[in-house]
Amino acid sequence: MELVAVVLLVGLLAGYSVLAGCDIGLGMLSPYVARTPEERRRVVSAAAPYFLGSEVWLVAAVGVTAGLFPQIEGEVVAGQWPLFVLLLAGWLVRDAGLWLRGRVAAAAWHAVWDTAVVAGSWAVALAWGLVLAALLGGGALPLLFTPLCVAAVALLFLLRGAAFGAERLVPVAGRTGAESAEAAARATRVLARAGLVVLPVAAAAAWLDGGVRAGAPALAVAAAVTAVLAVTAGVSGPRWSRPTSAAAMAALPVLAAVGGQVSAAVADPRSLVLVAVATAPMVPVLAVGQVWLYRMVRRPAPESGFFA
Amino acid sequence: MFDDPLLWARLQFALTAGIHYTFVALTLGMAALILVSQFSAVLRGDAARLAAVRFWGGLYVVNYGMGVLSGLVMELQLALNWNGLNEVFGHVVSAPLAVETVAAFFAESTFLGLWIFGWDRMNRWLHLACFGVVTLTAYLSAFWVLVSNGFLKNPVGFEMRGGVAVLTDPVALVTNPSALLAFGHVATSTLLVGGLVTAGVSAYHLRRGSDPEGMFRRGVRRGVLAASVALLPTAAAGGAQYPLLFDPPASSGTTLDAAEIERIEAAGSGLVRVLAETGNAVMALVWTVFFLVLPLALLAWPLRGLDRWRWLQWLMPVLPVLALLAGVGGWVYRELNRQPWTVRHHLTTAQAVTELSPGLALLSFVLFTGVFVVLAGITGWLLVRFARRGPAGGPLAPAPPPDSGAAVPVHSY
Repeated sequence: MELVAVVLLVGLLAGYSVLAGCDIGLGMLSPYVARTPEERRRVVSAAAPYFLGSEVWLVAAVGVTAGLFPQIEGEVVAGQWPLFVLLLAGWLVRDAGLWLRGRVAAAAWHAVWDTAVVAGSWAVALAWGLVLAALLGGGALPLLFTPLCVAAVALLFLLRGAAFGAERLVPVAGRTGAESAEAAARATRVLARAGLVVLPVAAAAAWLDGGVRAGAPALAVAAAVTAVLAVTAGVSGPRWSRPTSAAAMAALPVLAAVGGQVSAAVADPRSLVLVAVATAPMVPVLAVGQVWLYRMVRRPAPESGFFA
Repeated sequence: MFDDPLLWARLQFALTAGIHYTFVALTLGMAALILVSQFSAVLRGDAARLAAVRFWGGLYVVNYGMGVLSGLVMELQLALNWNGLNEVFGHVVSAPLAVETVAAFFAESTFLGLWIFGWDRMNRWLHLACFGVVTLTAYLSAFWVLVSNGFLKNPVGFEMRGGVAVLTDPVALVTNPSALLAFGHVATSTLLVGGLVTAGVSAYHLRRGSDPEGMFRRGVRRGVLAASVALLPTAAAGGAQYPLLFDPPASSGTTLDAAEIERIEAAGSGLVRVLAETGNAVMALVWTVFFLVLPLALLAWPLRGLDRWRWLQWLMPVLPVLALLAGVGGWVYRELNRQPWTVRHHLTTAQAVTELSPGLALLSFVLFTGVFVVLAGITGWLLVRFARRGPAGGPLAPAPPPDSGAAVPVHSY
């Protein structure tokens, strides 16, 4: 029963990493891939349908943590108070940017909320890097490992965003403006190669740094897996970067679960039964909704819509 | 006083919850009315009615965005600032919140995405079904949040084992009268809000002589009808909760003995009582206003007064503001009446808060309350702006045909 709860939580976090990596990474990259007002509009238009469907995974993960792992919530969330405040602030600012940007047709308004999206996306990615470092470091932030871990996580977010942008920013047939998509496609190679350097260094730092418990061989394994994934993305450019960056992002919560030094004391059985009985009938509805939404927005982003 | 972290944590929760609920009330109430409008439009295959759905839906989605933003902060705030509650009652209070996030909010947001992006791309019945899921899960979401909140007021279905509350009876938790009555009250009162918003916005446009294809004439009628239907059940479900406020919960005495409970309750502050009673008075007063005005509006209906009487058309747009005020007043009353307890007769508010330094508590307050006030102000301004602008140029208005200005010749020989 406890295993089921852990798998559910890691699954929700993995879903979040893979899906939200797209829109957060693209938000981080947008100063690079979108130079003109029209390109910036298209970046928001591309990311918006994703963020509606992706952040719910994190909300659900937070809910499941609170409901089924109250100890983790107390230890990790309240224990790392400043990190989670940074995460929440970044999340709030970024979402505000996405929700509000399209509501007023004025250049200054767009500039304000585009800035909010970029700053919020960076804050969220960096906060996740810090959270991962704190989890692997057993509550403290190891001196050597922390900056490398943050850099590695930021690189994976950027790679995911670039891979997403290379497909989703391609203009609708017959329209001009492929520059953003090409810039994103070029970025996948650079980012994958940078990841290739940073990830092994971060893994080495985890061994060297006394703060990270070296008794977690899973750490090295997961880092190696991530590095191999980065290689395939780097060699063949944007073509394979979509699935490989997805796998790399999904490895992050698995890494945290295996190497993280938290006691996974699950809630008592009756709480589990309540959550299981109440959510089970909704699972097919959720699956249909998510698959439907992502199929519908698989095509290149349309010219205009609600968000931009 | 101001270097007390508890004060900042409480003020932050009160202000963010008040703002959150205002947008939630609008979301819940409007969802039901939009669902009925879209059903009627799809059934008739009527383009004019569908245009009206796009107008009301645009207001709904702008409002929903703020509801989500504030909801995110509410959820993480519980983890960050109220760790004492989680340590003792985490197994019980957070389980319904976990269900809310997975079974309700997850589906609500996903299907709202489908609804927003599915205009003109989807079979119209499927598109209607998407909004059906959005409406249903919005109410489901409210239900599970109120199960958690109802437990704080009337703790049932648990046992204290080694200083930690353990859920023993999930059925008692879900059928807690404190939760069910609150849900009935929220469901009916938000329908009142939704009806008054629809009627108020419609009356504003009718007064200005704008009524594209009769959408506001239909809107004012539908709004007045919904609000009138919800008026008496709102008071009934609200009034039935008064006895629960003062009777001790059945589990009283299992954590603390009667003498300790009495000592803690005697130390409560007088200011809290005054604020609570003010909230109650605002709520009762606003309801009385509606009780006088809505029959007048119903009377005006057959006399065609809804379309012609200027004084009524001036009055109607004020009503939704009063309704939202009453909603906040009601929550102030409900939550302050629980003080000094977080979980009545088991855990005090001072025990529930995370041990924060005064500086961090103030930082959290300034950061989140400040951002909330700014975002709520912007969203409120946008809502009024789009409501006044009417169906043309709304957030969900059909995209204009692709402009040919920027087009470049595909072939250049």
